[in-house]
Amino acid sequence: MTVPATVTSSARPAGDSDILLEVRDLRTYFHVLDGTVKAVDGVSFTIRRGQTIGLVGESGCGKSVTALSIMRLLDIPPAEIASGEIIFEGRDLLALSEEEMRHVRGNDIAMIFQEPMTSLNPVYTVGDQIAEAVMLHQRLSKKEAWNKAIEALRAVGINNPERRVKQYPHELSGGMRQRVMIAMALSCDPKLLIADEPTTALDVTIQAQILELIKDVQDRTGTALMLITHDLGVVAETVHDVLVMYAGRIVETGTVEDVLLAPKHPYTEGLLRSIPSRGMKGQRLNVIKGTVPNPFNMPKGCNFAPRCPYAFEPCAEYDPRIEDANPPDVACWLYTPAPGSPVPPRVRPRRPVEVGA
Amino acid sequence: MSDQPLRSPATSRVTPLTDTAATDYEVALESLNQWQLAWRRFRRHRLALVGVGILGVMVFLAIFGPIIWPYDPLALRRDLPGPQGFNPLQMPPFGSDGSGRSVFVLVANGARLSMLIGTTTMLIAVTIGVLIGAIAGFFGGWIDNLLMRFVDLVLSIPFLFIVLVAARFFGAGELVPLILIFGLLSWPSLARLVRALYLSLREQEFVLAARAVGVGDLRIALRHILPNAIGPIVVSATLIVANAIILEAFVSYLNFGLKAQDISWGNALARSQERIAVGNWWWPFFPGMAIALTVIAINFLGDGLRDALDPRSKE
Amino acid sequence: MTTYIVRRLIGLLPLFFGAIVISFLLMRAAPGGPQAALAGIKSITQEDREKWLRRWCLQAEVTPVNMVKEFGGWLGVLNCDSDTIPEIFFSAQGGLNVLPTALGGGDNGILHGDLGLSIRAGRPVVDVIMERVPATLLLTSTALVLWVGIAILIGTYAAVRRYSLFDQAMTFFAYVFYSLPTFWLGLMLIFIFAVFLRTSGVTDFFPTGGIITTRDWPPFNTAEYWAAFGQRPLAALVDVGRHLVLPVFTLVAVNIAGDSRFVRAAMIEALNQDYVRTAKAKGLPSRTVIAKHAFRNAMLPVVTNVALELPFLVSGAIVTETIFTWPGLGRLFIESVNASDYFVLMGLLLVSTIFILIANLLADVVYAIVDPRIRYD
Repeated sequence: MTVPATVTSSARPAGDSDILLEVRDLRTYFHVLDGTVKAVDGVSFTIRRGQTIGLVGESGCGKSVTALSIMRLLDIPPAEIASGEIIFEGRDLLALSEEEMRHVRGNDIAMIFQEPMTSLNPVYTVGDQIAEAVMLHQRLSKKEAWNKAIEALRAVGINNPERRVKQYPHELSGGMRQRVMIAMALSCDPKLLIADEPTTALDVTIQAQILELIKDVQDRTGTALMLITHDLGVVAETVHDVLVMYAGRIVETGTVEDVLLAPKHPYTEGLLRSIPSRGMKGQRLNVIKGTVPNPFNMPKGCNFAPRCPYAFEPCAEYDPRIEDANPPDVACWLYTPAPGSPVPPRVRPRRPVEVGA
Repeated sequence: MSDQPLRSPATSRVTPLTDTAATDYEVALESLNQWQLAWRRFRRHRLALVGVGILGVMVFLAIFGPIIWPYDPLALRRDLPGPQGFNPLQMPPFGSDGSGRSVFVLVANGARLSMLIGTTTMLIAVTIGVLIGAIAGFFGGWIDNLLMRFVDLVLSIPFLFIVLVAARFFGAGELVPLILIFGLLSWPSLARLVRALYLSLREQEFVLAARAVGVGDLRIALRHILPNAIGPIVVSATLIVANAIILEAFVSYLNFGLKAQDISWGNALARSQERIAVGNWWWPFFPGMAIALTVIAINFLGDGLRDALDPRSKE
Repeated sequence: MTTYIVRRLIGLLPLFFGAIVISFLLMRAAPGGPQAALAGIKSITQEDREKWLRRWCLQAEVTPVNMVKEFGGWLGVLNCDSDTIPEIFFSAQGGLNVLPTALGGGDNGILHGDLGLSIRAGRPVVDVIMERVPATLLLTSTALVLWVGIAILIGTYAAVRRYSLFDQAMTFFAYVFYSLPTFWLGLMLIFIFAVFLRTSGVTDFFPTGGIITTRDWPPFNTAEYWAAFGQRPLAALVDVGRHLVLPVFTLVAVNIAGDSRFVRAAMIEALNQDYVRTAKAKGLPSRTVIAKHAFRNAMLPVVTNVALELPFLVSGAIVTETIFTWPGLGRLFIESVNASDYFVLMGLLLVSTIFILIANLLADVVYAIVDPRIRYD
């Protein structure tokens, strides 16, 4: 039986009533003309109430698809949630009817997206769009909902919310629109907020503001946060725990300190090494050699093996799964005894990685 | 397995996999160029293929029809005695009048002029339209303003009215003036389209890149931008052909078009209206059907081309 | 907004002027011309004929100067009672001819509301045109409202249920009907309803010609007709209605295809937008997402498209009116071309051009009203 990979989090006592979302062996496939893409291939993790967790990986590794699968926002052909369970507060979301799922969306789980420019409907005012969600889930009257919208805007740091609430999206800057998105997401007091690359499309200075806002809001409301990003820096600043994804699988989990300072998985290590630093002036950049595997033709054995500087015999033969490791926080034969390997696993001592070295 | 205690640091050597293994798994997709991709998409479009098939038949008729089945237009105008009937089992197909003239032959002959009008109109319209549109869109500024005002002007004139007036007063039933009139009235909307395309493509980075290595304006407009604009242009061109064929039929029906001696589908339709009263529905039916089929085929083809040539198409 | 409209209207003037000039030149360049046509009307005296000739500055020869004079006369700028400059610019009252009559201007030309004389009918063009307008508007507006309404319904449904049987069937029929020449469809319908059904014994419930049953009613839009209408309104409506069916069906069938494809494309575009994903993520029911979020945005291009189709109301039914012998503007146009009825043709061209320009303006204005992103102040 596969054991779900619980993220070890020293700050919180473990307890089952604390578990908000449990994803078990989620597999989401896309059936396209040239074949089937296994975008999410056996992903399991848990989120507790109030926990902040980052989902990190490069483009195409399946992190957005994971989030969309949780929200069941994928277009079912060509997508298909082939197997797995998504248990939210004791109910399997995948087994719910569409009607029941709608009550969850926006209400219990809210999501914000990457493109604030296009994620708001241009023909309705900002207030309309926030009030819409509130009226739907909380059954408030129009007036009450409108007031709630104004409060929501105030809570995300928008000045003069009474005026702003009547404006249209195109009258607001990118950063402000993202604030509106956050306000809209939080307006119904969700228990989990999923933020899919919320700052990627924004300027660096605005990025910092929005991240600050997200952290602040999360602190105040105690909402659990799942932040999806490819930017390790964002992760370091905003969340407590992190999941690293590669090619549809989770390859490493842990707290931010553990994973970013002393990564176990060679991929994580490669990511960290590739961040340039000041001391590197004049030297070649460190890159992870090779490219992301062909989605229609995944490598036999470990997905990362062809690019891995530490790969050895079992890597090309057997597929390491994070659930099999002990503790189950990394998917790599360096840390797990591999089947059929005559060589016992080598334990790499935990040592800090010099970023950029 | 997970209960096995972890061993101490290994003393045995670890053999890293070689680089060749890495390359095996690298993304190895066949690289197809733009036209091959377009062809692939086009082939999957069943309706478009049907369209091509129908058009093939029409083109065949246009080229070989009058040769294989010659037709005497004068015969149509005589009211011939004798059995008139529609008997599909009887050759020639589509019914005949007593003297053996058949609607099929009429249709086969009409194909030539109708298709000719369609294609030449398109050629004229495309030449002028692309030229003016490209100049306006590429250079912008006052040239664009001037040319577009001119286009607006032509587009402000009620199309059908002018066509009819011009066809009657200048056409005099001759082929060439008719084609000229159609062509001269069809280019403005294409010019607008081409201008919009050039305006947007001009801002793309590949143009900037070309300029950065010193490529001159003319070459950029022709060799860099035009191939990128060709998709919508081709689709519009097919629509112009379809419109011209229908227009010819309209105009001929109202007796403003080709003179009686010429045979086109439009002409055939016009002169056979009175036969309806006698119940010989097949006289107007089949020429009209030929027009409809050709236009449908062109529309299917245009749709297939649009899907095939649009790089953003998801189908 | 009003400043925008006014500015655009002013900008349209040169366009309008240019279009009229081109139309005028085209007409005049044709052989014959109003001179000859006027000569052919027997019902007016020679003296009247001279008066008309002078009133519209009709010249004997076609030279550039003469063309300018004729155009000026037709516009109402010139007063050809005299032939010398500067008198030619002044009216009989003494003011500049181009001014309104009340302010001392002349009373000829379109600027003063005189569209000329119908050579065929011997009556003012304005009367001739206005008499035919109701019939055309009845036909075209019924058709337009019907096909736009149905197209929006079908197109939206097809977009929402993309690739379903409905969608594929709709697409297929759209192509087929879109490609049918209007008049061929009309002819076939006439055959079915006039010949086939009648000869098989089925009564002709949908007549194939005219706007009223000539046995029972006086000619349409005459004083007698409206008197009779007043007496039996219901029967009159039914009668006209029955006559409307076939021509409207013909127009709707051919035009619905293009518009429904357009609506479908606009809806699909809207449904693919990010804000639709946001709306779903908020937990809104599909109905609301489609109707409130996607539809509203999809209607922006659709409304513009419809506005651009408005010229159809005036000039769109030429062939349909001919086939179904509908007494409207289209038929008037054909009859006038055949008779070289110069002034009527110019009048019709004028009306159509105005319609086209207004429709273009309307399209922009409506778009600005409906899309909050566009503000022209």
